[in-house]
Amino acid sequence: MSYHPLLNRQLLKAKCDDESIDVPTLLSLVSTAYQEKDIDRKRADHANRVMADELNVTLSELALQNMRFRAAMDNMYHGLSLFDEQGRLVVCNSRFLEIYGIDGETSPIGLELPEILGRCDALSRANDLDKRLIIREHICLDRLDRTPIEQQWPDGRWVELTRTSVADGGFLDTIVDITGAHQASDKIAHLARHDHLTDLPNRVLLRERILEIYRNRRRQQKCAILFLDLDGFKAVNDTLGHAIGDLLLVEVSRRLLSIVREMDVVARLGGDEFAIVVQHIRSRSSPQRFARRVINLLNRPFTIEGYKIHVGASVGIDIIDASEMDADQILRNADIALYQAKADGKNTARLYDPAMHAAVTARRQLEVDLSNAVLFKQFEVFYQPQIDLEAGTVSGFEALARWRHSGRGMISPTEFIPMCEENGLIEELGAQILEVACKDAMAWPACVTVSVNLSPVQFKSGNLPTIVKDVLEKIGFPGSRLELEITESAIFDRSSGIISQLSEIRKLGIRVSLDDFGTGYSSLSHIRSFPFDRIKIDQSFVRELGADAESLAIVRAVVGLCENLGIQSTAEGVETHKQLDVLQHEQCRSVQGYLFSEPVTMSETMKIISEFNTDPPKQISIRRRAA
Amino acid sequence: MWVERVNLSGIAESTSVLRSRSSPAQLVITFGPTQSLRSGEITRLLRTSFPEAILFGCSTGTTVEGRSLSDTNTVAVAIGFETSWARVAIERIADMSDSYRAGQAIGLELGGEQLVGVLVLSDGLAVNGSALVNGLKNTLPEHVKISGGLAGDGAQFADTLVTVGDLAESGLIAAVGLYGPSLRMTHEAAGGWDEFGPVRIITRSDDSILYELDGKPALDLYETYLGDEAAALPASALLYPLKIWDPACPDDEVVRTVLSVDHARRSMKFAGDIPQGWKARLMRGSFERLIDSAAEAADSAKSQMENQTSYDGLCLIVSCVGRRLLMGQQTEEEIDVVYSSIGGSFPIVGFYSYGEILANSKTGPSGLHNQTITLTMISEVA
Repeated sequence: MSYHPLLNRQLLKAKCDDESIDVPTLLSLVSTAYQEKDIDRKRADHANRVMADELNVTLSELALQNMRFRAAMDNMYHGLSLFDEQGRLVVCNSRFLEIYGIDGETSPIGLELPEILGRCDALSRANDLDKRLIIREHICLDRLDRTPIEQQWPDGRWVELTRTSVADGGFLDTIVDITGAHQASDKIAHLARHDHLTDLPNRVLLRERILEIYRNRRRQQKCAILFLDLDGFKAVNDTLGHAIGDLLLVEVSRRLLSIVREMDVVARLGGDEFAIVVQHIRSRSSPQRFARRVINLLNRPFTIEGYKIHVGASVGIDIIDASEMDADQILRNADIALYQAKADGKNTARLYDPAMHAAVTARRQLEVDLSNAVLFKQFEVFYQPQIDLEAGTVSGFEALARWRHSGRGMISPTEFIPMCEENGLIEELGAQILEVACKDAMAWPACVTVSVNLSPVQFKSGNLPTIVKDVLEKIGFPGSRLELEITESAIFDRSSGIISQLSEIRKLGIRVSLDDFGTGYSSLSHIRSFPFDRIKIDQSFVRELGADAESLAIVRAVVGLCENLGIQSTAEGVETHKQLDVLQHEQCRSVQGYLFSEPVTMSETMKIISEFNTDPPKQISIRRRAA
Repeated sequence: MWVERVNLSGIAESTSVLRSRSSPAQLVITFGPTQSLRSGEITRLLRTSFPEAILFGCSTGTTVEGRSLSDTNTVAVAIGFETSWARVAIERIADMSDSYRAGQAIGLELGGEQLVGVLVLSDGLAVNGSALVNGLKNTLPEHVKISGGLAGDGAQFADTLVTVGDLAESGLIAAVGLYGPSLRMTHEAAGGWDEFGPVRIITRSDDSILYELDGKPALDLYETYLGDEAAALPASALLYPLKIWDPACPDDEVVRTVLSVDHARRSMKFAGDIPQGWKARLMRGSFERLIDSAAEAADSAKSQMENQTSYDGLCLIVSCVGRRLLMGQQTEEEIDVVYSSIGGSFPIVGFYSYGEILANSKTGPSGLHNQTITLTMISEVA
C-alpha cells in the first residue's frame, strides 16, 4: 500500500535505528500535520470571508458609481450607445432611446445596430429607400475617423453622429440633436440675406438672385431692374417719427409684392430704396409701363396708425439681356437712372442710357470737389449792397457765397447749395460764410450791416444759435450789425424748431429777415409766426413792376403791411429806374439789385460805401451796371 | 569540481575524506541558526579543517540539505574546483540607505575578465535587498549571474547575520565571485503564489516602507486578513505576500515580502522598494501550487545544465521563509520535488531566506525576489 508522501516522510522521521517506528514521534508529527491543515483551512476561510466583505464593499461602491454614471449618462445632452466587439449593444442612455424614439420597455441591449435602427420610431416615417440610406450611412460610420456626420431625418430633425473605437474591439456612438443649431444657422443665413423690417430680400440676396437668373438664362431673355426711391419719405420720418416711417415701408413692400409675378424679385436696399427685378420682359416699353404702375400704386395715400400719408416714388430702370447680365453693372445702371429720375423731378421714371452715366459721374465728381472745397475753405464771399431809399445810403450788404471751381469756373449757388444740403456740408459752409462776412463787415462803418442767408437744413441739428454766438464772440462782431435771412420754405418746416432757434438768435441782438417773400404758401401766415425785422419782396414781383398790375398790387400790399406792422421792407432784384420809381412811390424802405450794384468782392464794398455814404446825395446816384 | 557535505558533528572524519579529493576545498558554504553561527565554534572547526578555503554562509531558520529540512541543524558543504577559482568581497553597511553603495562596491571589487557568477549573502534585516542588487547589477557585466539571498531567522525576524572568514556579524554583506572559463552557472526562480482580492493602489510609501494602500493604513489591511494570526506579525504577513507593478509596465511584476511592522505608524517594512503610485494585490499560496512551481523551476534549471557537465556540481537552494511558514511539514515536499528532478549528481544545500537574489540581464526590473524558491546550479566542464 502506498502512503501519502507526507506520511512516508513522517514514518521516515519516526523510524528508529532498529527500523522500528517510534509511535509517539509519529503521532506527534501526524498531529502537527493535522493542525497545520486546520490552520491552513481556517486561514483560507478567514481570508475568503474578509475578501468577500471587501468585495461586497467594492461591489456596493461600484453599484453607487454605476448609479452615478447612469445618472450622468441619462442626463447627457448626447445620446450614447456602446457596442461590443460583435457589434451588440452593451450600454445606452435614455437620451439615445429618446432621440431614436425607441420604446424603453423593450430593452435594445444585446441587439445589433441594424436591428435597433430598424425598430427606430423616428425613422419609421421615411420611405423604404430613404430609411435604408439613413441606416446604411449610420452603420458604415468609420470608427477610426472620428469626424461626425450629419443626417436629416424624415421627421425634419437634424442629428450629428460620431463613432469612436473602444479598446475591447467595440465602438461607441454618440448622437446629438442639432436641429436647433441648424434652425439658428438657417435663421442667421436668412437674416444675412433679408431685410429685417420688411423681410424682403436685401442687397446680398438681390445680387444672388440676379446671378441665378444669369445662370438659368435662356436665349434673348430680357430682364429689367427697377430701382425706386420714395419721394417725401424723409418728411414722414421727420414729422411722424421712425415708427410710422417703418410701418410705411412695410406697407410699401406689401404693395410692391402685390403687383409683381412670382418669378420677379422685390428687394429693399436700405432706407426708402427698393429694387424690383422683372424677368422675361417683352418690349422696352413694358418696364416703363410697369414703373408707371409702381408710381401710381405708391402715389395712392397710405393709412398708417390713423395718419393719411402721401408719398411718391422715383424709378430708375435698366433693361438688359439675361445673357449679358452683370449684377454690379445692372445695379449701378438702375441706380444712375434713379438718380436721373430724381433730378428730373418727383414721381418720375427714367430708363438708363449710357449718357446718364457720364452726367452722374460728373455730378459725383463735383460732390467730391465740393466736399474738398468746404474742407479747405475755398469759398469766396461776394456782397450786394442794400440801399436805404429814404437816406440814399448803403444800409447794409447781403453776403453771397461763391465757388470758383478749378475746372468749371464759377459755380452758381443754386447748384452747389442744394448739393451741400444733400451731402451734410451746409452747416459747415454756413458757419464759414458767416465768419468771413462778419470779419469783412468789421471793416465797414458801424451803420452798415451784413446779412447772411440761412438754409433750412442749418436748423436741423439745433446748434445754429450756438454756432452764431460763437462766431460773433470769436470775431468780436456786434449782433446788432448782423442780419440773418431765412426763406419762407424754411419756416414751413416747423418740426426743426426753427422758431425757437430764431428767437434765441434774436436775443443776441441779431435781426431776422424773411427772404423771397410771396413765393411760398400762406406767406401772410408766416409773418404772424415770428416777429421778423425785415421782409424781402421776391424779385419775381419786382421784375414785373410797371408791366403787371397784379405785381404792383402785391408789392403795395406787402409794403403797406410792413409799414403797419413796423417791419422793414426790402425789394430784391431792382434792375431798372422804372422799378425803382414805383418802389419809391410805394414807399418801400430799401432796395437791392443790379441797378445799384451786382454782388462784389470785399475790396469793392469800400468803394461803394464811400460813393453812397460819405456825402449823402439827396438823389440816389445810380451806378452803372458792371459789364 | 567536487562538492562534499561536511559532517560538522564528525568533522575530523569528514575532513579526512575530503583531503582525498584531487584538489583542496576552496569554498565552504555554511547555513545554520543565528545562535549557532554567532558563537564562532563552527567557524573555528571549519577554519581548522579548511585553512585555505573561503568560509561563507549566513543565518537561517531552516536549512536544506539533500531532500531534508531542519530548523535546528547547521549545514556545510565544501567545494573544490579543478580549474576555476573564487574570490570574496565584504561590505558593512551603516543603514539601509547604504545598500546600493555596498552593492556597487562589491561589484567593483569582484568584477574581472573571467567572472562568471557572484554568490551574495546579506544581512536579512538591515539591508534593502533591491538596492543591493541594483548596485551589483550596475557595476557587473550583463553576462554575470548573481545569486544568493538575505539571511533569515525563521519566524523571529529578530537577528540575522552573515559569516565570512572568521567574521559572523549582522550588517554584513559577503559575496563570492566565481571565475574561470570552465565554470558554468545557471539559476531559476519560481513563485507559485496566486493573486486574490481587489487590485489596490500604493497611495503612500517611502522606499521599502509601505504606509497606505488605497488611502488606508496597510497594516490595518494585513491585520484584517490575518485575523488571530496578526499576533505573529511580522512573520505571519509572509502568508500574504504583496505583488506590485508599475501601471505603466503591467507585465513587470515583483513580489514583496514583509520584514517588519511598525504598529505605532501602522506601516510595514518590506524586503525591497514599494514605489508609491504602483498597483498592488495580495497573494496567497496553496501547497500544491507552490510545490508544483518548485518542480518546474528544478526541471528548467536542470535542462539548462544538461550536456554541460562532466563533474559533479552544486545545487544551491534559497527559498523564502514565507513558503516555510505556510507549508509547515509539507515544505519538505518542495525540496523533495527539486531533489527528485536534479538527482544525485548535484548535492543540494540551501536555506530559507528573507529575500532571494537572482539576477542577470534577463531578469527584468529587479534582482530581488520574495516568496520564491530559487535554484542556482554551479559546475565545471572539462
